[in-house]
Amino acid sequence: MITPLLASELTKRVVVTLSGEAVAQVKDTVFDFKAGRITGFTLSGRGLLAGPLKVSLPFSGVHAIGPFAVMVPSAAVLTERKAVLAAHEAEHGQVIGAPVLTDRGTEAGTVLDVVIEAGSSGRLIGFEIAMKEDTGTGHERRRAFIPRGEALAVSGRAMIVPAHARHFVADDLPSFGAQVEAFRRHTARPSHLTPTTTEEAQA
Amino acid sequence: MMLMSQAHGLLVITAEEAEQLGRVSGLTIDPRTRSVVGVRLSGAPKHATAIAWDRIEGVGRSAVVVRSVTAAGAGRDDLPTHHEILGKRVLTENGSEHGTVKDIAFDTTTGHIHTLYTALGDISGNHLLGVGGYAVVVRGA
Repeated sequence: MITPLLASELTKRVVVTLSGEAVAQVKDTVFDFKAGRITGFTLSGRGLLAGPLKVSLPFSGVHAIGPFAVMVPSAAVLTERKAVLAAHEAEHGQVIGAPVLTDRGTEAGTVLDVVIEAGSSGRLIGFEIAMKEDTGTGHERRRAFIPRGEALAVSGRAMIVPAHARHFVADDLPSFGAQVEAFRRHTARPSHLTPTTTEEAQA
Repeated sequence: MMLMSQAHGLLVITAEEAEQLGRVSGLTIDPRTRSVVGVRLSGAPKHATAIAWDRIEGVGRSAVVVRSVTAAGAGRDDLPTHHEILGKRVLTENGSEHGTVKDIAFDTTTGHIHTLYTALGDISGNHLLGVGGYAVVVRGA
């Protein structure tokens, strides 16, 4: 069972150690769009006047991402900011607002948010998009969720989704988890032959 | 078995001198051993504001008995940092909220934590992972 979570909701979420101390709050989520997972989090201090922290949280140090808090084993997992930011600076943060195109060249909408899987996987499972629909009477926009496809490409300029992903669009986040599972089953065969990551090969 | 809320306010008295040291203001819990390891006192002289659990002879309905004034002072430097637990937010290790600690049932002899009571249900003391300044952390269901 997949519990989807919007990345924007992680901002300001408290980071708590398993011994019950609040050590920071999430400032930004850093993604590796190629690998389809969270690289880590930049952090800020807690409280009214607290600014950005010099330390960050690499995803390897995360115990679990939950609906209330991001849990870490201890404060010792926090490392230099550079460790999280350096590797993926080019891909960081630019996806929100980018146009969504299908691999057939249809414009599907624009990216509103990134959907991740709650828990300890750090998997990026899809995107919330503002759908662009041709209804005949004009363009109507609605909010929808699209699973991250196997062949998806993301850059700061655009996001490309497989055309068949549109069949798996969900209107609300809770039903999205089931949709993603359906999408994974649908694409299971080709990904089995050419797994992009060991993770996806097992899925 | 006793509830932590029942222990609060109990008189702390020495067995040898029948001297009243103060009243229980809190119990210190070590999440590693999942047990009460110390008693915090209010109205006590400075050298005895905290007493290690192994110095305590007995915990009854009306008082907590310590062997002597000198015994009360020993061992308290090894106590973990005290964090108030009643009323504290409960988080699972998965990062979900699970209400606040309403009360705690503990064994008056061993100090072992038996149950954490929350508005969202009872949690076995064996699931306790951490007691900090921000939250009580329990193993996920």
